[in-house]
Amino acid sequence: MTLPGGRVAWVVLLAAVGGAACARKPAAPSATTLVVAVGSDPGALNPAVTTSGSTHPITDQIFNGLVGLDEQLQPIPELAERWTVEDGGRAYRFALRPGVTWHDGVPFTSADVKFTFEQALLKYHSRTRAALEGLLDTVETPDDLTAVFRLKRPYGPLLQRLDVVEASIIPKHQYEGHDLLHGEPARKPVGTGPFRFVSYATADRIVLERNPTYFRQGLPGIDRLVFRILPNAASAVAALESGDVDYTVSVPGPDIPRLQRTPGIAVVKSAGGSGGSACQDVLIPNLTRRPFSDLRVRRAIAHAIDRDFIVERVYFGQGQPATGPISRLIPWAYTPDVRQYPHDPAQARKLLDEAGLKPDATGQRVAITFTHGANQQRLGQALREQLKAVGITLNLEMLDFNAAVERVFVKKTFDLGLASFCNGADPEIGVRRVYVSSNIGPYPFSNGASYRNATIDALFDAAAARVEKDQRRETYVEIQRILAEEVPYFWLIDSETLRAHRQTFTGFRLWTGAFAETVRPVSASTPSKQ
Amino acid sequence: MTHATSAARWLMRRALFAVLVVAGVTTLTFVLIHLAPGDPIYLLAGDGGNASYYDSMRAKYGLDRTIAEQFVRYVRAVLSGDFGYSFMYQQPVIGVVLEHLPATMLLGGTSLLFSVILGFGAAVLCAIWRSRWLDAAVRGVSSVAYSAPVYWTGQVFILIAAVKLGVLPSGGMSTARESLEGIAYVVDLLWHVLLPAFTLSLPLAAVIVRVSRASMMETLGEPHVRAAVARGLGRSRLILRHVAWNASIPVVALVGQHAGQLLAGAALTEALFGWPGVGHLVLHAGAHRDYPLVTAAFIFISASVVFFNVVTDAATSWLDPRIRLT
Amino acid sequence: MQVAAATRTGLLATSAFRRTSGSMSVRAGGIVVGALVLVALAAPLVAPADPFRIAGDALTPPSTAHPFGTDDLGRDVLAGVLHGALNSLKVGLAGALSAALFGIGIGGLAAMCGGLADDLLMRVTEFVQAMPRFFLVVTIVSLFGGHLWLIVLVIALTAWPDTARVFRAQVQSILGRDFVVAARAAGCSERRILWRHVLPLTIAVVGAHASYQAGNAILSEAALSFLGLGDPTVMSWGTLLGSAQFMVREGWWVSLFPGIAITLTVLGCNLLADGLVTESPEDV
Repeated sequence: MTLPGGRVAWVVLLAAVGGAACARKPAAPSATTLVVAVGSDPGALNPAVTTSGSTHPITDQIFNGLVGLDEQLQPIPELAERWTVEDGGRAYRFALRPGVTWHDGVPFTSADVKFTFEQALLKYHSRTRAALEGLLDTVETPDDLTAVFRLKRPYGPLLQRLDVVEASIIPKHQYEGHDLLHGEPARKPVGTGPFRFVSYATADRIVLERNPTYFRQGLPGIDRLVFRILPNAASAVAALESGDVDYTVSVPGPDIPRLQRTPGIAVVKSAGGSGGSACQDVLIPNLTRRPFSDLRVRRAIAHAIDRDFIVERVYFGQGQPATGPISRLIPWAYTPDVRQYPHDPAQARKLLDEAGLKPDATGQRVAITFTHGANQQRLGQALREQLKAVGITLNLEMLDFNAAVERVFVKKTFDLGLASFCNGADPEIGVRRVYVSSNIGPYPFSNGASYRNATIDALFDAAAARVEKDQRRETYVEIQRILAEEVPYFWLIDSETLRAHRQTFTGFRLWTGAFAETVRPVSASTPSKQ
Repeated sequence: MTHATSAARWLMRRALFAVLVVAGVTTLTFVLIHLAPGDPIYLLAGDGGNASYYDSMRAKYGLDRTIAEQFVRYVRAVLSGDFGYSFMYQQPVIGVVLEHLPATMLLGGTSLLFSVILGFGAAVLCAIWRSRWLDAAVRGVSSVAYSAPVYWTGQVFILIAAVKLGVLPSGGMSTARESLEGIAYVVDLLWHVLLPAFTLSLPLAAVIVRVSRASMMETLGEPHVRAAVARGLGRSRLILRHVAWNASIPVVALVGQHAGQLLAGAALTEALFGWPGVGHLVLHAGAHRDYPLVTAAFIFISASVVFFNVVTDAATSWLDPRIRLT
Repeated sequence: MQVAAATRTGLLATSAFRRTSGSMSVRAGGIVVGALVLVALAAPLVAPADPFRIAGDALTPPSTAHPFGTDDLGRDVLAGVLHGALNSLKVGLAGALSAALFGIGIGGLAAMCGGLADDLLMRVTEFVQAMPRFFLVVTIVSLFGGHLWLIVLVIALTAWPDTARVFRAQVQSILGRDFVVAARAAGCSERRILWRHVLPLTIAVVGAHASYQAGNAILSEAALSFLGLGDPTVMSWGTLLGSAQFMVREGWWVSLFPGIAITLTVLGCNLLADGLVTESPEDV
């Protein structure tokens, strides 16, 4: 890891002795360096042991999965050239791409795949472990270029779990014999991906360069990829506007309209990426407590919430009002054709009356507490206004993110909580865990509402065991119909994060972690910086 | 008792106290973070895991032990020079802190320099010109500079210098696009440090201008200075030679005390400007429940406060032998 | 709170305003602080609207309907600033009271008792002074939640050491003076000496420190909000300024007015403190 530490130290001296010089070399934008603003330090760069949203945006450019995901989130060949499903969905046979080498020149083989799954993913990668533990029996490696996944039961959505975000393949020869969590190799990651690691200066930048021997001919389209760590989102936007940064993965809401008007900058919607895809922000009522145990109250609250207002004001239009338990960004499984709860305070009051929650002299019917993290302050304040209109007092309890998560999911001492559930490439990945009774916890991002419905449990099992997409859609549609009737959660928004890039570059693959693979400069006369 | 032995005794006492402070802060921090609600495992391990996953990770990080046990292990490790492993960075804590130290030193050093230049310079000008208007202006500006929160003035400066005028970078420590080397790197670094250092320097500059102005006025009124004026010594020369020297002693004390607070005091400025320093690191580590990192940072910060206090006392005593070490 | 506590003590010790503008400073500071108290108490009458009420479109610039504009949720910034005054007042008062009461208590006790107790109390004071106080406040509030009472408590618990040290030094100096020695010889009780001779001479300096700590506490609370750790259920200037940090360019008014309010209030506290130091008897 190269670090400006030593250099900074003598600059300190120089500054102290000579005072600050005020000359500046004009920036000469090199068209083949893409500068990306990210919010926090990734720390170790081993993607197979973490789901961290700071690590993956970087490592997803260095590593590969067995499969990639196309824009419809369907699997496409990556490290695996082809695959066949055998034994009624109980075995997946992958033919690995020949001639792939790690960045250090060592050939990539099926041993790396086996090592990655058995030593890293199934031990330390939370989501992959939770999904495949007890399901994946063995990874067989009949030869260097074949890997066979043997499952204990048929499992349809396996392929969607094998992309670079959920299952980056790491080199066995580098990691074997190291502690995977604290290992040295994670400081100088060696992957198979489009970019090679060059340097990492903590809290400053990570520099990657083009992998000249990348297996996809002609890619990547840029020479250098620099991640600049800019913790303050406003600074990141300013850097984008000034041309110091080409792409920023998050845009503060109030800046969106201005950036959209700014010539030379494109604001684009992204449903996915390294942090998780097809996410839904969802209010979690504690169904084991009054008043949420009463269906009429849940429906009343669903009518009392003005999703359009929340999407527009609280989320600055970064998404669309949710209509049910599956995000519309998984189009093959999503249906809007379920019971809807339009914003209707009168209907809400009527339902509350029916539920026996009559208003007292001050118009108040019931008081509930909303437990939330610091990031949801504005949501809490908006909800409080909306619920006040139907006689519900919402007390706000702001906790540190971690403490809020613990209260809602682990201790379960809450009335109303909130989580962003990323549905992933398949409802099996990120929807099932929220509703099935076997996942009531106590651990984060489980079934926080403690919702129990045997029919729903059985339907999710059926959907997972099927391999045919049409059959699976039918099952998911039924699940959505039932859940919309029952409202065990209040679905607020199907999130679509806005990201912004300078129009000097094009080809961002925003639905996947490996966003930079196909980025290329717009060759025609580069617009001057403003 | 000779002067030397009393100085040695003083140093001993201060050193002992320093150790006590650091030990106290360590214990307090450790207890506080472990009493706090929230389980760090959910931040340092991945999301979407199941119970067995979190149990195994807890064991992996030693978080399944009791607080007392963890504390004993921690103290033992610290005494042998091992500050533990940062959850967030997956690196030894000491390395993470040291990596962030140069940035804070650069920002802090530059801002101290600015404070002294601005504050002392303005005071000298006031003393030389004795203009009521200048006086009033300096007093007004310094009062506001002292009272305004830096994260607000910083925002205003970013708006003006970076957004409207586009003459200075709005944040970060270096230009992102190029990998500069040698002198270009230094220039670029200084270019980036200007705005945050200026922002950070203002409150201290405000104090310095007032303190040094007051002490200059006092000196100007003293008989030997009046006598020098009577002998026809030029006013500017007089001020620069005699008056300013005397006024520098409280300024040294101020700068010294302030230097000790810089590791922590620059945090808000660092956060606003995306400056990769220690203060910012601690804020970040706290939010991520990086226990080893937070505790180690507290140890460093309190040690630096105590250290600079000792140095300051020694320096002021050396500058002005009338001030005794007690 | 950027300036070290010790620095402030230095500032007080050699106030620039001595002789020149003490009473003017007190007056100016008094007017500002008085105005704050008035606004704080009158806010519910002047701006009866709930400051959290969504009163219009998001981020509209100042107009006759919303003289300070609206924020990103469409809430009236003027209502926020007016209602926020009360919380800033509470926070400031907590800082001032802590500085005064703990400062007098601990500093006075140390000076009167002397010996081992003095040593012990002063070491505790130094210990609190040497702690990274702002970080401690940040850590505690971020770990245990942003409740206003907790913020006030933590700020109060760390606001007293400067006052304690200065007060102790002053009491010691007064106790050594002829008139006190004379009073003692005449059979005055310690308590009487303290009330009759010591407190009147030190009250201005204690007031000055309390006033500084009030300003300081208001700044600390605002800083917590800037970091997103403020109390979400109460409207305070800090909360406004914290939420404004992403809107500096799109809605300068959301940042400007609370920023001015904070700066003015802290300025008022500081002027008051300066003036009080100047008013205090010389050579104390």
